[in-house]
Amino acid sequence: MQCREFREVADSYLSDELLVETNHDMIAHLEGCAECRRELAARRELRTALRASFDKAEELQIRDQFADRVRRELRDAAMIKATPISRRRVWVAIAACLLVAAAVALSVVWQRQRAQTPGQIAGGNRPEPNVAQVKPTDIQPHLAPTAGDADMVLAKMSELAAGDHRDCAINHRLPQSPIDLEEAGHKYDQAFLNLKNAVRSHLTDSNAEIELVGAHACIFKGRWFAHIVLRHRGRLASLLVTRLDHAEGSPAQAKSTEVDQHGQIIACATASGYQISCLRTARHAIFVVSDLAEGENLALARGLAPSVYKHIKSAEDIT
Amino acid sequence: MFKSIRQLHRENQWTAFEAEALPHLSALFRLAMWLVRERAEAEDLVQDTFTQALQSFHRYEKGTNCRAWLIRVMFHINSNRRRASARLQIINETDERIAETAAFDPPTPQGLTEEEVLRALRSLPRPFEEVVLLSDIEDMTYKEIADTLGVPIGTVMSRLHRGRKLMRAELASYANSRGIGHKTGEPSASSAGK
Repeated sequence: MQCREFREVADSYLSDELLVETNHDMIAHLEGCAECRRELAARRELRTALRASFDKAEELQIRDQFADRVRRELRDAAMIKATPISRRRVWVAIAACLLVAAAVALSVVWQRQRAQTPGQIAGGNRPEPNVAQVKPTDIQPHLAPTAGDADMVLAKMSELAAGDHRDCAINHRLPQSPIDLEEAGHKYDQAFLNLKNAVRSHLTDSNAEIELVGAHACIFKGRWFAHIVLRHRGRLASLLVTRLDHAEGSPAQAKSTEVDQHGQIIACATASGYQISCLRTARHAIFVVSDLAEGENLALARGLAPSVYKHIKSAEDIT
Repeated sequence: MFKSIRQLHRENQWTAFEAEALPHLSALFRLAMWLVRERAEAEDLVQDTFTQALQSFHRYEKGTNCRAWLIRVMFHINSNRRRASARLQIINETDERIAETAAFDPPTPQGLTEEEVLRALRSLPRPFEEVVLLSDIEDMTYKEIADTLGVPIGTVMSRLHRGRKLMRAELASYANSRGIGHKTGEPSASSAGK
């Protein structure tokens, strides 16, 4: 190593920033060069003097009052006040909570919207939502313990029946006006023919305190119903008969439901405060809907069931 | 009676900050005073530096050079304050060019006063003054200086080399004006050209 090279890196040597190999070269050069040893010592001394001068320079010294104030204020900031970063974290936490709350609210709304489809309530397969006025949360199917697929179909259909009872018999606000039951029997479903008479004869025979208020065929959510409006104990009740489509009312399903084949009616569901009792034949579903007590509604339905079941069954046998 | 977790966390953080950072308060003030030259401005700079450091103390890696970390915070704040001055950059470039032309490497004079040493440091162009200050006074590594100034290590090395050379030249002129020579032998023309 030459003296010129030595001086080029002498300060880096003092700062201990050289590679080990270069350090060795420096040491080797120093051993044989007194002039560079002096220069290195002078630079080291200058550095020491510079540091000492700087540390001792009076105009650069901190005031005690200022130092105390800084310490005090920093301590206060650390121990008492929230630092800006802490505040930012608080806001982030609040924003996160709001997001979580919004997500939960959206989830609840979504769940309710899903529940509005009858298929979700009864676990069935109906694709279209129906009975907009019937609150889905109010629908509580309470089928017989042996309820199978056929009963599930009835449970789903009972929502339609409740909606028709409310909108037609109670509120008279169906979008399409009802038509004569006999006319509907000729046009759409022969089981509707003479249904009114079958019910009337039952009422006459049973001496029950049931008044036949009216009979017609009405359409609710795209489904035709034979609708017999009754009054019992001062309350309006609806006997509703509707034809099941192929998927809903296959003969195999009907035969598998022993209670139906015997014409036994069951309490089917409650919806929006209405009690619904139901019965099915091979190709029809029969509902009695009212705001009577559950036992009263079921008793009403059981009274009507034999004659209605017999009438519908006869019509099905003919066709 | 019972302290909250948050309160305990604050106390622990303050204890660590008090032990690691606050001992450097005086040194940072000297550096700030040297850089801005006005006491009130230096106090503002130090106050802001320590406040910022306290807020960012979670970023400090324990066991590393806390003083270098504080100096980096202070230079960052100070450079933000000076950023508006475009004129400064032009001066710096001129100084760099001047320093390039200082080809002669003078020997280091001895027997100088503290005042002369500081005056020589003050005479350096700002970029060279800063690196000499951080290296020779604050004892920071080239890497720490590069991080603080936001320049490559190579730039730090070249500025240090030129800055020290300029400083030695300045000190030599003081020594010559006072008739002070080298304690033991002047570097000969032959040794300078070796």
